[in-house]
Parts: sequence; C-alpha cells; structure tokens
Amino acid sequence: MKRGFNQLLESVVKIDVREVAFEAGTKRFAGGIGSGVILSDDGLVLTNAHVASPRAVEINVTLANLERVSAKLVGWDHWTDLALLRLDLAEVKRRGLKFSHADLGESGKLYPGQEVFAVGTPHGLTRTVTRGIISNNNRYFEDTRGVNGYETGTFNTWLQTDAAINPGNSGGPLVTNDGKVIGISSRTYLGANNLGFAIPSSTAQRVVAGLLREGGGITRSYIGIVPKELQDLENFYSLALNTGMLINSVEPGSPAAKAGLRSGDILLTLNGAKIDGRFPEQLPPIQNLIANQPVGASLQLTVKRGTETRDYVVVTEKLESRVGEEWALEKWGLSVRKVSRAYARENQLDDASGVVVIGVHPGFPAAAAGVSRGDIITKINDQLVLSLDVIRAAHADYDAKPAPTLVEVQRNRRVSLYLLKP
Amino acid sequence: MKFRLLLITALLRAPAALWGAADLPTLWAERTKSVVAVEYMTETETERRPTISMGTVIDTDGTIIIPSGAIDPRAAMWQLKDFRVYLPGDAVSTPAEYLGQDAFTGWHFVRAAVKTRAQLTPVTVFATTGAPAVPALAEFVWGIGLRNKDEDFAPYIMQSHVALIQSLPQRTAIAQHEVAGPGLPVFNRDGALIGIAATSFGQSYLQFSRRSRGEPMLLINVEESSAFMLAEEILPNLGRIPKHISGRPLAWLGAYGLEPMDRDVAKFLKLEAQSGAVVSEVLDGSPAEKAGLKDRDIILALDGKPLPPLKPERVVVTWLEREIDRRAPGDTFALTVLRGGARVELKAVLGEEPKLLREADRKYYDRLGFTAREFVYGDAIERRVKAAEPSGVVAHFVKPSSPAAIAGLRQEDWIKEIDGAEAKSFALVTAKLAEIETDQARAEFVLLVSRGGETAVLRIKLK
Repeated sequence: MKRGFNQLLESVVKIDVREVAFEAGTKRFAGGIGSGVILSDDGLVLTNAHVASPRAVEINVTLANLERVSAKLVGWDHWTDLALLRLDLAEVKRRGLKFSHADLGESGKLYPGQEVFAVGTPHGLTRTVTRGIISNNNRYFEDTRGVNGYETGTFNTWLQTDAAINPGNSGGPLVTNDGKVIGISSRTYLGANNLGFAIPSSTAQRVVAGLLREGGGITRSYIGIVPKELQDLENFYSLALNTGMLINSVEPGSPAAKAGLRSGDILLTLNGAKIDGRFPEQLPPIQNLIANQPVGASLQLTVKRGTETRDYVVVTEKLESRVGEEWALEKWGLSVRKVSRAYARENQLDDASGVVVIGVHPGFPAAAAGVSRGDIITKINDQLVLSLDVIRAAHADYDAKPAPTLVEVQRNRRVSLYLLKP
Repeated sequence: MKFRLLLITALLRAPAALWGAADLPTLWAERTKSVVAVEYMTETETERRPTISMGTVIDTDGTIIIPSGAIDPRAAMWQLKDFRVYLPGDAVSTPAEYLGQDAFTGWHFVRAAVKTRAQLTPVTVFATTGAPAVPALAEFVWGIGLRNKDEDFAPYIMQSHVALIQSLPQRTAIAQHEVAGPGLPVFNRDGALIGIAATSFGQSYLQFSRRSRGEPMLLINVEESSAFMLAEEILPNLGRIPKHISGRPLAWLGAYGLEPMDRDVAKFLKLEAQSGAVVSEVLDGSPAEKAGLKDRDIILALDGKPLPPLKPERVVVTWLEREIDRRAPGDTFALTVLRGGARVELKAVLGEEPKLLREADRKYYDRLGFTAREFVYGDAIERRVKAAEPSGVVAHFVKPSSPAAIAGLRQEDWIKEIDGAEAKSFALVTAKLAEIETDQARAEFVLLVSRGGETAVLRIKLK
C-alpha cells in the first residue's frame, strides 16, 4: 500500500442524516446512514444524492478519528446521484479537530481488471475497506426513479466493480491503490454477488465544480427527446455505421416537438458536431452534450427523416425533475407533491396544474372524505390549484378557522368532489 | 278462442303453482325444465377456449338468457363459436344460436334448436299472473343449481330465506345463503317465480395459514349466488331480444366518467339530500357535447325528475347509464345540471354508440406474430386523443416468442407507422402487413408504436 492510501483512509467519513418525509399525510422524520469523502482542506465532503438531499434537516459527519461534527448541504444533483456537503468549519476550529482530504483520480484511464478498493460505512461499520477490480468501466444504467423517486443515470455512465458494496457504502469513495478517488460508490444489486456501481470521478469533478458555482443544484437544458441506440437499424435508415442517433420518442409539448421533430427521426449533428449513438453506452454523453447547452439557447439539429435531411432549430428549456415540491397539510392529514411538467407529460395530463396526493393519514379529514394516494387535487374551494401556495393558503385558512372545504380531485381521468370536514 | 286455449295450457303446465301445497321435490322437478347449461367456444388467434354458463328459458321459441358476465366484452362477435345447450342431467348437447347482448339488462340471448325446444318449459309459466310476486323479508325461497359438466350438469336444489331487499339500482333480494346458480331462477314456497340469481357478491374472509395470520381476502362463489334480481326486473324486459347480434341500435350520450356526488358535498352545495353525478369529461362530437353539456357539470335530474337517492352512492351512476341504455338513438334525454352554482336545463338527443371494441375489424398475421385491430372510438378515449383524428391500428394480440414479441411489441401498443409510412387506415395497414407476411424474402420491417404517450421504434426480424 502506498502512503496516499493511508491519507485516503483519514478522509473517509460516516454521514448520519435526519430528513423530513411527507408521505404519510404528515411531516415525519427519518434517519439514514451513508459514507462520504472529504475533498478539500475547507471541509467539502462528497457523497451521494440519495444520502443527503434538500430534505435533510440535520447532517452529522463522523471523521476518521471518530469525532463528530455537523455539516450543511452545499448542493445536490440526483441526475448523477451526487451531493456536496461542507463541514461546520467554525466548530472544527473551536474544537481543534483534524481531518485529511483525498484527491480525485482520473477515471478515464481505468481499465477492466484493474484493482480498486471501496471504502465506507456498510451497515454503519465505519472504515470498512473492500477490494475488487473494475468489472466494466463504461456501464449504461438509467433509472427514472433511482434516487428516492428522482431520475438518475441519464447523463453519465457508471463504473462497475466487484469490490463488495453494501447499503451504507453509498457516497464512499472507490479508489485505486494509491488512494486516488476514481469513483463514488452508489448502488448495487441486492441479492447478486458483487455487482456494484460507482459514479466516475470525471463526472464527479464536473458536478462538484457545478455545485460550487451554482449552489443548490445544477442547471441543465432540456429539449424533450428520448434517444435510442441505432444498433441494427442502420440498414433500415440507410445510414453509414457509427452515424446518428435514433429519436425514439418526442415528448408532447416539448421544445423538440414544437420545432417539428418526430419519433423515428435520426439526429445526425448537433450544432455542427457529429453524433454517434450506435450503442447504449454512447447515449449519456450525447444527452449530456444537450444538457450542457445554456437554457434558452437555440440548437441547430441536422435530422434525417426518410430520404430527406434538413436542419431544425430547437430552443432549450430548463430541465426539471418529474418530482415536484412536497408538503404536508397536517390538519387534513394530506401529503401532496406539485405536478411537474414531466409528471404531467408522463401521465398525459392536460397541463401541469394541481398537486398529487402522496399520502393520507387514516382518520383525518382527507382520508375520511375519500381522497386517496395518487389522486390529483385540481381545485380547492373553486380555486384552481396552480401552485403549492394555493393549497397551502387554503390549509392555513382552515387551520385558523376550520370550515368545510370543497376539493375537486382527478383519479385517472375521472373527476370527483370531496368535502374536507372539521 | 286462441287466447283461451293458451291460458288453459298455461294452467295445465303450472298446476302446482296454483293449487299450492305441492311438495318441494315435485315443484323442483317441474322447474328444472326451465334451466339449461350453455357452452360456447371463444376462438382466438392460437387457441379455442370453452366457456360454460347457466341460463334460463324465457319463451316457447327456446330463447335462453345468460348473465352479462358470461361473455368477455373484448371478444369479437365472430370469435364466439359453437354455442350448445345441455339439458340438466343430460350428457347430450344440441346446437344453439347466439342472438346478441341487450345493453339495458346486460343479458346475452341464445336460442335452442327446434328439436330441443319441446323439452324446455319457459320460466314465465311459473310467474304469477298480474303483478310479479315480491318476496317478503325472511320469506322462504329456493332455487336451482347445476353441477359441472363432468356430472352432466345434474340439477340440485338450494334453499334460503330473504335477508334484505335493495335497489342496486335493480330491485335485488339478498338471501342468507346461496339460493341458485347465477342466471338461474328463484321461486317461493308455492313455486312462483320471484327472480333470477345475479352474480354473487364477494364475501370477506380472514385467511390463516403458516405464513399469514389472518389476512383479509375476498371470496366470490362463481357457481352459486345468494343475490337475485326480483321478477319485476325480469318479466317486463324479456322482450328485449336483440334484433342484431351486435345488440344495435345502442343509445349514446357521450358523458365520460360519471362519478357520484356524496352527501356531504351535496349539503355543502346546498342541495341537501339531492343525488347527483359529476361529468368528468364530455366526449368529442358526442350528443352530450352537442346538447351543451360541459366537463364537471353535476347532473341532478333527468326529464325533470331528481336522480333517485340510492345507496351506496355509486349506484346512481349505474342508474343513469341504464337510463341511457333503456332508450334508443333519437330519443331525447333532458338533463338538469348544476354548473357554477346555477341550474342549467339541457336537452340532448341520444345518438348511436360509436363502433365498439367487439365490433372492431381485426386480422391476425401468424408469421409476424400479432393481430392488427382497427382503432375505434374507445381506443381514442383510452389514449387521450381526439376521436376525430384517429389513425393507426392497435396490436390486439401478440403471440409469445413470435418475431413481433421478440422485437418488444406488446398487446395494446398503438402502431402508428409501418416501415416509415404512416398507418393511415385499417385497410392500408392490412394490405401492407399481408404483403410483408407473404414476402418470404423479407428479412425485417420496422414499426413505430406508441405506448402510454411515449413512442418507440421496433425492428421486427423475420429471418
């Protein structure tokens, strides 16, 4: 083992998070454990977005020397399952605590078969080191609900390793034998034998820079195409090999749809750059290329449809998660989530107004009236629920002076009226 | 003269009902001649599936009614084959003809062969003259059940007492125990017809096993039922024999997703004990739209009469739907609705129901491994698109492990393009698919399908 590896061990931390959950019709707190790695002398800690999210109300970091110190969320990015924390430096200084930091390595240079180590806190067991190899250095894995219901894996590929990764390893570093962080351990197939996945350090580097620059989250662009690899379809579309990417679906109402793109179109170039989407692993970089364009930018897309090839101009929008903001309306025993544009599209709703019911508290007015999980509340006391504030205000009125409140609810496409009674 | 003769026959054929006091076995033996088992085949792309249900004979022409649930509404009419009638306790069957379904009662009508008719007694013979007999609470009732095919559909007797009479919205008696096979008649002590058994209700049980400690479960007895529709719901509707196998003409309003208004909401809207139904959506080009009905209107009255206060509240929706089905295209349907706090009077003229799933054209391609089905109005509703601009076809069936299945085609996928050309009409699609199917040189073709609002390009390899 090299000296760098010992320094790495001194920079791996355990993270305890207390976060708020809204699902049960009430505000509840839940605890979670993960791992992380300190990246700088000024106390930046890198971990997973599924460990620390904006729902966290309390974050405690246990340093390698077993001292505990509190931390704050700098920002998170569920798309790449990364979150950045900062240790409470005042507390560190006051208590005279010491910690070390690790350096990021170059994930691009990894090769399958290369020895790597995962360090972290599996099941709360601090400073656990497991050993394995890089099983695959370019794994495609996309999950629309992968990070606590949020999308992930659209813009990056993953490192696959057989170093044992267990629950609690999340957010811990995957390192080479010189202690360089080449990935952030993130997920595993439970029940399988050592199929672990980590976010490559090349992605982490980009995201850390973005989170430091923007704070909170990372702004990405969206145009509304769902890509698919061209593999085996080149003949049908009369294309040379390694040319173009198939547009499998165009989301209704999206910038791409407005520009006239259609499913079955072949994207040949983007702002002049050649596109090659022959294999699934090639899709995330292309998606990332689009996401990195400024919001509101005009993109020039060269597209082949049938025998005709022409250019389209698509104006990007800001990328949004399908998961909207959540809230608990406790007097009604009702947890809701704002309908997002992505959710509305996915569920073929007319527009993004309304809130989705994500939980009801048995015995409370909403449950008693017949409101249930999955319903969409579109109107309250004859007022359209265009934002979360509308329903929050109605709830505040009810809290101040309880009175029967009429809600209009959509379930699938059926509309019902319910009365929330004090 | 003829009338009197008929009456005498009726008297002769139903002596026990009139002189009373006949013993139950005698009454039972006479009345088993009114029940049959009906068997038919559903011919799908890859199999022939038999279905057996129980039916009641309603006239001297050998007409038999079987319950609505006996036939899958997704099956095309021409897929229903080889209807046969079995007499109770008889292993021999005779062919029968399927006449179609009546929308109002839901009954399917079947007609027995001429030679079989002589062995059947219409159940109407056992009806009381004048007003249909209504059982009293706690009254003794009995009915007929049929054993399975391997026991030659042997008839047997069931008996119980009336526990409750409800409007669901049909007047329905619920007996304490199972009283007849679904679709078979129920009688009183004197042998007079008092109803026909409906599909049984689910009953809640707790299941204890090594793994579960009292998990609630719902059991439905499909062979015997404790619920029966009263004779007053049966006798006046026996004449509703479909004129055509499709059951047409079918009345249509086009108010989609009727949802009951609950009592609390009614009170809040100052409607007190008024019943109502919320219209979720008014369908494109429907009679409801033409009459000016709007999304979210609350229907309060029909033809000036308030909707009946039924329990559970959900039943009011069935009541309204039955009121449409009872009528014919061209009939008026006058509604009073609540819209933004004001009452609005509307007069709709019912139209003819658009083509139904069971009437949709379809064609199976064995080499490709799927059935293309015509895109009908119901498909447009389900896929949330305007009914006026439908194109494409629906994959009605995908054969497992076929080229289409391997390529990822799934049942109910909406096929929008074939080999890059828009699937404009069913005729164009079937021509194109037939060409692909017969072209042995073909190595592959490409479909663009839509599924839940998202599309996908599928490459179907034939070689």
